[in-house]
Order: sequence, then C-alpha cells, then structure tokens
Amino acid sequence: MIDNVIHAAIVMTTPLLLAALGGLVNRVGGIVNIGLDSMMLAGALTGLIVSAASGSWPAALLAAAAIGALLGLLMSLAVTRLDANEIIVGLGFTIAGAGLVRFFLKSAYGNAGTLNLPDVARLPEIVIPGIADIPVLGAIFSGHDPLTWAAWIMVPLTAWFLRRTRAGLRLRAAGAAPQAARALGLKPLTLRDASTVYAGAMSGLAGAYLSIGVVGIFNEGITAGRGFIALAAFYFGRNHPWPTALGALLFGFFDAFQIRMQGRGVPAELVQMLPYAMVIVVLTMMAVATRRSRAKGTA
Amino acid sequence: MSGPAIAPSGGRGRAIMDALTPLLVALAAAAVVLMLAGHNPIDVYGLLAVESFGGVKRIAATLSAATPLILTGLATAIAFRAGAFNVGVEGCVFVGGLAAAYVGFTFVGLPAAVLIPFALAASVIVGALWMLLPGVLKARLDVDEVVTTLMLNFIAISLTAYLVNGPLLAPGSANSATPMVDAAARLPKLMPPSTLNAGFLIAIGLLVLYWLWDRGTASGFETRIAGLNARFAIASGIDVPVLIIKMMLLSGAIGGIAGGIHALGSVGRFVSGFSPGYGFTGIAVALLGRGSAVGILLAAILFGALATSGATIQLFSDVPIEIVNVLQGMVMIFAVARFGWIIARRRRAA
Repeated sequence: MIDNVIHAAIVMTTPLLLAALGGLVNRVGGIVNIGLDSMMLAGALTGLIVSAASGSWPAALLAAAAIGALLGLLMSLAVTRLDANEIIVGLGFTIAGAGLVRFFLKSAYGNAGTLNLPDVARLPEIVIPGIADIPVLGAIFSGHDPLTWAAWIMVPLTAWFLRRTRAGLRLRAAGAAPQAARALGLKPLTLRDASTVYAGAMSGLAGAYLSIGVVGIFNEGITAGRGFIALAAFYFGRNHPWPTALGALLFGFFDAFQIRMQGRGVPAELVQMLPYAMVIVVLTMMAVATRRSRAKGTA
Repeated sequence: MSGPAIAPSGGRGRAIMDALTPLLVALAAAAVVLMLAGHNPIDVYGLLAVESFGGVKRIAATLSAATPLILTGLATAIAFRAGAFNVGVEGCVFVGGLAAAYVGFTFVGLPAAVLIPFALAASVIVGALWMLLPGVLKARLDVDEVVTTLMLNFIAISLTAYLVNGPLLAPGSANSATPMVDAAARLPKLMPPSTLNAGFLIAIGLLVLYWLWDRGTASGFETRIAGLNARFAIASGIDVPVLIIKMMLLSGAIGGIAGGIHALGSVGRFVSGFSPGYGFTGIAVALLGRGSAVGILLAAILFGALATSGATIQLFSDVPIEIVNVLQGMVMIFAVARFGWIIARRRRAA
C-alpha cells in the first residue's frame, strides 16, 4: 500500500517537476510563463503521434520537446519583440492552444477529444536489481522511467547552472536587471527568449510523459491544469531548484492521493485546491517577512 | 465580421483602427488554420456572420451569449483601470453563480420581486468577498495579484465542484448540480423562446453606469490616474491602496453578478463546469474594447456571436467549433502585442 502511494506520487511528480524547472529558469530570466500548460498539451499530443508513427520513445520525446520549444519561442517573441504582456500572452496561448489541439484532433482524426493510436512506444521502466524488492526503497528508486530520472537529475544541474555558470549568471542578470545587463553588452531579450524556449521544451517533455509515460493515450484534458500547478511549484519554491522540487513532490503526492481517494469519501476537489492555496499562503508569508525586515532596517 | 468599415478621420479614427487591428490579425491567423484544415476561410467567416446576425432570433441569441461577457469584460476593465491586474474574474463567476443559485432554490415561495434581487445581491456579495483577499494582499503587502487571482480561479472551480458534488447536490441527481432554482427566481425572458433575458438589461445598465463614472466623476478620474501612474496619484493625495481594494471588490462584485445572471437567466441552477471560461474571455473583451464602455459592448457582442455561431456551423459544416477558441486566444495575444495600454502602466508602476 505504502509502496503504491510512493510510486504513484513519484510518477505524478515527474511532469510537474519538468515543467516547473523550465518555468523556474524562465522566471529567473524575467518571464512569468502562464502558457506552460498549452506547451504540455502540445507535447503530449505530439509525443503520442510520433511515438506511434516511429515506434521509438526517444524520437517521441525529441518531437515533444521540439514542439514545446517552438511554442515557447513564439510566446517569447510576442513578449520580448512585440512588447506584449506576458500574462495575457500566456493566457492567450492557453486558450488558443487548447482550441488548436481539439481543432486538429477533429480535423485530422475526426474524433472529439481522445486519441488512441496503435503501437505506441511507451517509456521503459528501469528496474534496479537488488533494490526493487526492498520495501519503500524499491518504490522510490526502482521501476521508474528514464524521464523521471532525468527530471530529478535536472534539479542539481539547474541549481549549478544558475549559480556557477557564466550563462546562468547572465540569465539572472537579464531577469533581475535588464538595463544593467544591456550596459554590460549582454542581450537580455535574447537570453529571455532562450529561457522561454527551454521552458517550452521542458513542458513539452512533461506533456509527453503524461501521454506515452503514464496513460498511453491522449486526451484533451490530459494535463488537467498541471502547467498551472507547475507554476505554483516554482512560486512555492521561490525560484530555487530544490524547494521547487520539494513543492513539485508535495503536489505530486496530492495528485496521487486525490486519484486514489476518488470515490472513497475523501473529497478529491478539496485536495485539488491545496497547491493553489499553498501558493497564496507562501506569497503572503514572504511579503510579511519582507515587510518585517524592512521595518527592522528603518528602526 | 462586420465592423465599422470606414473610420472617421482624426484621433477617434486612429483609436478604432488600433482596436480593429488585433481582430484583423487574429482573423488572418485563424484563416491560415482554416485553410490548412481544408476550409475556405471566407465561406466560414461569412457563415459565422450570417449565423450570428442574420435575423432577429439569431441576434437575440448573440446578445444572450454576450451578456456574461459584457459583465466579465467590465469587471476586468475596472480592475485594470485601477492598475490591478485581476485575472480572477472567472473564479467570481463560479462563486457568484453558486451563491445566486443557492438563494434561488432555498428561499422558495418568495415573490420574484424579492427573490431575484436577493439572489443577485448574494452573488454580488460573494463575488466581492472572493476578491477581498487578493485586493488586500496587493494593497497592503504588495503581493502579486496576478498570481493570487489566477490561483483563486482554480480554488473557486474546485470548491464549487466540491459543494455541488456533496452538500449542495440535488437530491436524486447523479450529475454534479444543485436543484433547479424556483420559477420566481428565473430572470424574465425578453423575447421568448430565446434565452435573452433581463440580465442583458442589467449588463447594459452597469455599462452605462461605468461610462458615467469614468467620464463624469471624481472617483473615475482618480482611478484612471492611479492606474496610469500610482506614484503621481499618491503624491496628489489619492489613497491608492484603498482605491485598489475598492476597485478589486467592485471587480469581484461584477464578476459575481455575471455568475448570478448566468445561473438565474440561462442555466437555472449551478452545475460543475458552470462557466466555459467567461472570466478569461472577459479579459479578451476588456483588452479588445480597450477599457471603454462602447468597446466592451462591441467586443462582448463579437465574442458572443462567435460562441453562438460556432456551435451552429459545427452542426451544418465540418468546421470544428474550436476555431472560436483559437480566434479568442489570438485576439488576446495580438491585443497586447501591438499596443499595450495596460502593460505600459504596469511597467511604469514597477
């Protein structure tokens, strides 16, 4: 029972973690990406189609990342080059993206909402001999797919990238002080575009994880707002990779819990509210702390 | 879509062109999508126009669909005007709709003249209260209202879904819905059998009040100043934090009544999935209408027309109705891409 819960929580964390790490880098670069969910949706659909057509899951992941990156690029160009507000553009992508996906499903496959293709290459499970049979440890470390491992490896890598690399520092400069960055000869807008392309690619992978990793089919509601929960995760983690991963894990656990509790008397809808409510609480606590430290400074 | 073809010269003409450009670009982009899918965009747009405005019945249906959008557009525009980036009107529609439906099916036996104002007042109060938290957090602690209002949408949708699945579920009903409201709580229909109802008149009335407030009152002027330049407003002696809280409450109240009118006028009860994104379409309406009363009315009618005619053309041709969502999302993107009347403020305020 406990093993099942742990395993399911890790499975539901992966898409959140991938998209949240992408959104985090985007946010550090200066763009709040509200369109993550649309990029996930596009990645989920593309991943499934390519997986069925090619029979190769790496090709499917590549295609999903590419479509996400393309959407990220379009979104970023609207924001950085046409001076559009990132929030409105993000919402616009969410609405238009969902519309386009359904439009495409009806036009190309003649069905409304669900796509079930034969010969979908699913993500393989990596079973670690020796650990697989140990309770708890087995559920944590064994039986997961390569994308889950990749997502967790990306946590320290993202932290290292933002802290220790030249590109990471430049990205932070572009986000925190675009004028200063420009004065130093950097191109803050290009750096921002790169971070949005990255966020799109990560969200595309997150979507493909849902379609060819978790369920094996595509449904128009497959993301179930997980792009927004990813947003909640990096707000919860205040743009730091490890706290963000913790947030994603917590929300992934809620997700797994709520799926298991459906029809068992625990209202799933109330569990679904938790990530969003927690973000408001965290933002409020941060604001109160800022105010206190400011008050101390002047006293 | 039929719009004013010839713009009058001068500043007004430019304003109209500015407002029309995002629409034209979005129509062109959607035309590409239609062509890729093998449809003739001119035929599709022609059919949409005929289905929305060709005849009294169709115009009534269009205005009926525009009613919630006028209100959500207005709710969004009021918050934007004060410099509060409220994307939480969708949540207000949900909680306001449930509040009105609750009063409507609980206080059975009251005469319509009492029950309808009572139910609408409930939706107004609950909608306003829903925006109290983000309003106070922004005004007092400078917590980003974009995030809080966005999150509150999801909370409102889940919370109301819980309530209509459990405590407020209609007895004997398998689907997530409240009981039907009392007949006395239903808003009178203006042109039966069309669903166009008295809610449309309320929406127009509020739009007129907004126009008068914006043009002719000190409060409207102060709000405009606070939205354009918060620091200047503070220096001029305007209490901007209080103003922001007030305008967020007002925005929530109008979002709430949008839900109340939808519940009492169209649906007759609250069901889960109550709003097909009226609050988000309201953002597009406010942006496309550029915050003016007339602009909001025209933009709401446009999106109302798309919603009603989209459903019909899916029946009579093989064009998926989702082309409407594609258009709507693109209008949002292009409305801010070219000329950001709100972004400029936000930048300056930051």
